Amino acid sequence: MAESSSAAPEIEERSLPFFEAAERGVLALQRCQTCGTFLAPVRSRCSSCGGTRIAWAEASGSGRVWSHGRLQRSFLPEHEGKLPLTLVWVELDERVRFASRLAASERAPVRTGDRVSVVFERLADGTPVPVFRRAD
Amino acid sequence: MSTDHPLSSRAAITGLGMTELGRVYGRSATDLAADAVLRALADAGLARSELDGLLINAGISQGVDLSLAQAVGLRDLALQTQMNGYGSSAGQMIGYATLAVAAGLARHVACVFADTPLAPGSRAGQAYGRARAGRRGVASIGPALGFAGPIPYYALHAQRHMDLYGTTQDQLGAVAVSSRAWARKNPLATMREPLDLAGYHASPWIVEPFHILDCCLVSNGAICVIVSAAEQARDLARPPVYVRGFAQAHQLEWDDTAPSLAQRSSAAAFSMAGCKAGDIRTAQIYDCYTFTVIATLEDYGFCKRGEGGAFAASGALGPGGALPTNTGGGMLSAYYMWGMTPVSEAVIQARGDGGERQVDRADLVAVSGNGGIFNYHATLVLSPAAS
Ligand SMILES: [Zn+2]
Repeated sequence: MAESSSAAPEIEERSLPFFEAAERGVLALQRCQTCGTFLAPVRSRCSSCGGTRIAWAEASGSGRVWSHGRLQRSFLPEHEGKLPLTLVWVELDERVRFASRLAASERAPVRTGDRVSVVFERLADGTPVPVFRRAD
Repeated sequence: MSTDHPLSSRAAITGLGMTELGRVYGRSATDLAADAVLRALADAGLARSELDGLLINAGISQGVDLSLAQAVGLRDLALQTQMNGYGSSAGQMIGYATLAVAAGLARHVACVFADTPLAPGSRAGQAYGRARAGRRGVASIGPALGFAGPIPYYALHAQRHMDLYGTTQDQLGAVAVSSRAWARKNPLATMREPLDLAGYHASPWIVEPFHILDCCLVSNGAICVIVSAAEQARDLARPPVYVRGFAQAHQLEWDDTAPSLAQRSSAAAFSMAGCKAGDIRTAQIYDCYTFTVIATLEDYGFCKRGEGGAFAASGALGPGGALPTNTGGGMLSAYYMWGMTPVSEAVIQARGDGGERQVDRADLVAVSGNGGIFNYHATLVLSPAAS
């Protein structure tokens, strides 16, 4: 896992399974046990059927670039000296959208519709976070 | 162009009150809001005692609340509440006020927005960057990776449109340039220096494809409109601006295959007004970003899907164009009072008070309001003539 300096997400209790899976290099998403809908970010009720039987499930980690952009200015001091960064909004195959960025190792530009898959990087405080690279 | 909708033209905007707008320091949001309400009452020729409704939208700084009634000296209100639908709030307030006066619950309802996000020495975007930083857990990953505040999300919406439809940077720039051309004719506008495409391209990047000139201003100030029952409106000091149509649409999670909020909201408002997009003579579009204008032009039916950029670049939006749009300079160049920016300019144009920037035929004005990341939408159709 490459290190990337950034502001740390505050980890709330409900999100712990996500970060525990991320430690193992796995992208976990909540899934409604009643209707099968994947949910994001973290919910106590299914946004599709209203069900409350929700469990964490392993996601494919694959999806398409819904869109992308280049961050040239940030309000976070942690980003200074690292700009520009390529932001990506990925629509995972589970039909969940994820606001993230390209992995530090990715050099080539992406376009809307490109296939991508998840990898994990660590923030400065060690928190593992999902970022994306072009799928092979 | 006719309608038999029972709510069309049942109310009119009869008063408009605007404070100083922009880097206005040393005054609280409540103080500014009270000032705007009193100015709107004076504009309408109404006494304080005649105002029986008050709807308040506090903006990002949340500096005004129900205590406003005391600050204004309102003692006998039949209707009062605080509302928030972000950029759609102004259109929503006017819609609810119309319902209230049509139902006889009140006769004159003040709808007021006030905000003081700017402090001396602060960067304009700071108030909005902070507002979204307080998320926790999985929801905080996006902000930690650079999705801080609304700009990245809108920039990526714009980039998607560019990738799908071939919209260009010059076309985004055309929106900024046309807004500035209008702002130069508006004494209340903050940004009045000339701007051409070269100047647009030279402005710093924030999140590509957005330069800083793709992003709206941040302003302190307050704007109030008085919505009166149509029967009361005719005898007041200023010509009434009738609420021909109004609608809202909201959705926190959107679906690319479904009609957008702006499509749904405008279709409902145009239907109430008994008009089509082609009947609209001037548009006041919520321009939090240049791209929002392009998206809304398409969604409202002023041009075809994917052609909003070309429409803007054709000069249609600027002075002398086919659809004069954001004729006061909008939020990009004039002032940022959430949905009250397009509403106030619509009232000025419908009254014929535009002076140097008055458009020829402001007989049917479309007004849009957009909040969140395309999550909340409101549409108004305003006119100096009742339907
Ligand atoms: Zn479900």
